Amino acid sequence: MKYDVYGAIEITDDFNVFDFMSCGKKGVIQKRVAFTKTELENVYNLAFGDVDADGDINDYSVSDNGDRNKILATVVYIIDAYTKRYPDRWIIFRGSTIERTRLYRMAVGLHLEELSAKFEIYGYVDENVIPFGKNLKINTFLVKRKNL
Amino acid sequence: MKKVIKYKSELFDKEITFTVNENLNKLKGRVLAPKKLAEANKLLRKLKTPLPK
Repeated sequence: MKYDVYGAIEITDDFNVFDFMSCGKKGVIQKRVAFTKTELENVYNLAFGDVDADGDINDYSVSDNGDRNKILATVVYIIDAYTKRYPDRWIIFRGSTIERTRLYRMAVGLHLEELSAKFEIYGYVDENVIPFGKNLKINTFLVKRKNL
Repeated sequence: MKKVIKYKSELFDKEITFTVNENLNKLKGRVLAPKKLAEANKLLRKLKTPLPK
């Protein structure tokens, strides 16, 4: 994919929390990606957003820092690295707003061929998981690295 | 000395440097987005079919 990414990322040694700095027109903003174990075995929730003063992730913040594509590409890069480390884990994620979920759907759809070569990509629809398709209005994604 | 992991994704041309941060390590085990996790668990509980193998 021909997108720039943030090249310096701070992590926890268990590879579950990733921090990077968004640099743009509004200044420098700390971003955090965290993978957290869910109740279902081998399924981890992906949370992403700005970092609050108490260290929590604020996934409703709108930074408007002019680097949206670079940030999204960096998150994809992190997912790639994470699933390389943990190839048996499923990742579940959804946008915090309808607009963000639509953005994720468009981004996945736009790069479906490249992403599908590496990942199993499913959507959560009517309490079932179905393979992602460009015309499906999926609100929650489930992805896992392919066993190649 | 900080532990550094270099990684190059096949999806991108650029190499990324992951650096272990001791301050971040203090967050280990803490749920950083509890509402998001609760939403995910709620959906997963309702799953009618198991995830594909």
